[in-house]
Amino acid sequence: LNAAPGRAPRQRVRFLPAPGGSGAVELVAARVPVLADHPLVRGPRFRKLKIGAGHRLDVKASGVFVLGIGHGNKLLTDLYNCHLTKVYTVGGLFGKATDDFSDTGNLVEKTTFDHITREKLERILAVIHGTNQKALLMYSNIDMKTQEAYELAVKGLIRPMGKSPPIITAVRILQFALPEFQLEIHCLHETQQYLRKMVHEIGLELKSSAVCTQVRRIRDGAFTVDDALPRTQWKLQSIQEAIRNCQLKVETELKKTL
Amino acid sequence: RRGLGVAAGPPSTCQLREAEEAAPVFQYAGKAARRKDRVFVWGFSYSGALGVPSFVRPDAGWKKPRRIQPTPYRLETEEKISSAACGYGFTLLASNTRDITKVWGMGLNKDSQLGFQRSRRDQTKGYEYVLEPSPIPLPLEKPQQTRVLQVSCGRAHSLVLTDSEGVFTMGNNSYGQCGRKVVEDEIYSGSHLIHQLKEFDSRVVQVVCGQDHSLFRTKKGTVYACGWGADGQTGLGHYNITSVPTKLHGDIAGVNIIQVSSCGDCCLAVSDEGDVFGWGNSEYLQLASVTETTQVNVPRHLPFKIGKIKEAACGGTGNVVLTEEGNVFVWGYGILGKGPNLIETAVPEMIPPSLFGWSDFSPDTRVAHVRCGLSQFAALTNRGELFVWGKNLRGCLGTGRMEDQYFPWRVTVPGEVVDVACGVDHMVSMVRSF
Repeated sequence: LNAAPGRAPRQRVRFLPAPGGSGAVELVAARVPVLADHPLVRGPRFRKLKIGAGHRLDVKASGVFVLGIGHGNKLLTDLYNCHLTKVYTVGGLFGKATDDFSDTGNLVEKTTFDHITREKLERILAVIHGTNQKALLMYSNIDMKTQEAYELAVKGLIRPMGKSPPIITAVRILQFALPEFQLEIHCLHETQQYLRKMVHEIGLELKSSAVCTQVRRIRDGAFTVDDALPRTQWKLQSIQEAIRNCQLKVETELKKTL
Repeated sequence: RRGLGVAAGPPSTCQLREAEEAAPVFQYAGKAARRKDRVFVWGFSYSGALGVPSFVRPDAGWKKPRRIQPTPYRLETEEKISSAACGYGFTLLASNTRDITKVWGMGLNKDSQLGFQRSRRDQTKGYEYVLEPSPIPLPLEKPQQTRVLQVSCGRAHSLVLTDSEGVFTMGNNSYGQCGRKVVEDEIYSGSHLIHQLKEFDSRVVQVVCGQDHSLFRTKKGTVYACGWGADGQTGLGHYNITSVPTKLHGDIAGVNIIQVSSCGDCCLAVSDEGDVFGWGNSEYLQLASVTETTQVNVPRHLPFKIGKIKEAACGGTGNVVLTEEGNVFVWGYGILGKGPNLIETAVPEMIPPSLFGWSDFSPDTRVAHVRCGLSQFAALTNRGELFVWGKNLRGCLGTGRMEDQYFPWRVTVPGEVVDVACGVDHMVSMVRSF
């Protein structure tokens, strides 16, 4: 970054004695660069970079992680206040229950799972969806008796714009092959451990047990996996390009919500 | 070094794997695990209509009487309940069984709408309030063969439909709603009389109670009515009392009716071709699309251009229909479900399907059934979810809040809701567990 050509030095108008010709003291206006802007005086432009993190991502989880650099940190508070949904792919395994709900924990119990069918899983997910829809309406702090509450509910735009417990807005089965299954979960204000706990509870509801094998965030508000940079591309050019590509999206999103 | 044992450090991965494989496997549910059928009740409990005696008379010192049950509460029943009906302060539950006891009743019994419930304190008198589901003795000819198909409750009378022995009626008969001749100064409290109705042109397949009148639908598609007619709800062309079930004519003559519905003083009927007919009270614009009069005593066809109608439900002041595509239309007066601004309309308005759980994520979620209480509406989706809206009289909506609900709201029931019966201030639902 420091090697990139920086800002041109500021120019100042100074009245300097005219060149040549001794004797006559004539002042001529001339534009000279300010000495304070000289690179040898100023030193390297960047000594530290402020990087802020967006929504938290676990050590055991993977996926899109939003960072703010420099002035972008101011947009991070706006990101929090937008309360947009995040999308995760959660992989689970039936038949085991561990103490920290993931497959690397200490085993608590093993159960049978051959009675589980896709239909039963869909039923449980419908109940989860239903209770979370209710929570969505309740925590949004809108007076249910107003006409605008009705209109927002029709469009599906009601969501909590303040602090709330984790809420799941949509669930869908992506893959189901006993004992493994994979779900796509859209949620708000959640933590990855909450998602693992949910997998465990789904196992309990189906009268068996389940552990979570994978949590991957594929979308965080307006940022998807396609915008995200994998470890091989953590270079200055790709970072700058990614920021440029996302600028438009970020602006439209902010204008829409706030 | 004696080496009496190896020091136990943290278990290595292969030790952990071995321990995991050696762990016992528990089985909580086998492949043949059946889904259980349950009954959930909620609403006003002091009349005994919820069937939980401890709400009215607490049986333990720490329990307090519960006037309102705001969320669904599980009711233990001996048999699987196939049909339920809520009246004004009482409930009937019926099972499809061949056992002797087929119908249970609870709640208000001041007009013997639950039959004669012999009091244990005084063998000659009956209970006026029944707090627990108590068997109703029906005078069946073949009690171990006949099955009860359906029950229905009105303000102070009840109807029980059997498969081979016609319809049994009990309760108040001051307007002939039980289908027998009105006896002057008859005392209905503690009465043993249960009347049997058999004279119809074919087998009765559906019975519906309005507030003080009864409707019978036969297999041939005809509708019979008896009871109070001052609002024209009997549909017989006059405004008098009818004490014998009489066939209806008007616009439904010759039409094969597949469903009838009534709760207050207005009635709706759906034909097999998807048309809807209405008669009775029209003070709340229920029939204003065809006539300006406030009482219609002959069935009239309601020319709505909303598609083929599958099911209709009639409430006290508002009506709701369900079309073949799964759309819900409401009209009438009161809280209709489209926000606080829509108070009355004579023409059906559709409730957007997104309020019933339809979204891009689940595009095949649709409403499967609609039911009506006196001032509440209920809708069941094909995913087994129950949505309610309307006036929340004494907590009857089951949402957990005491405020009125202006648009469809999910009721959290631990199971898949199969059917729901709505009354004035309480509701009963039949649920299958997961």
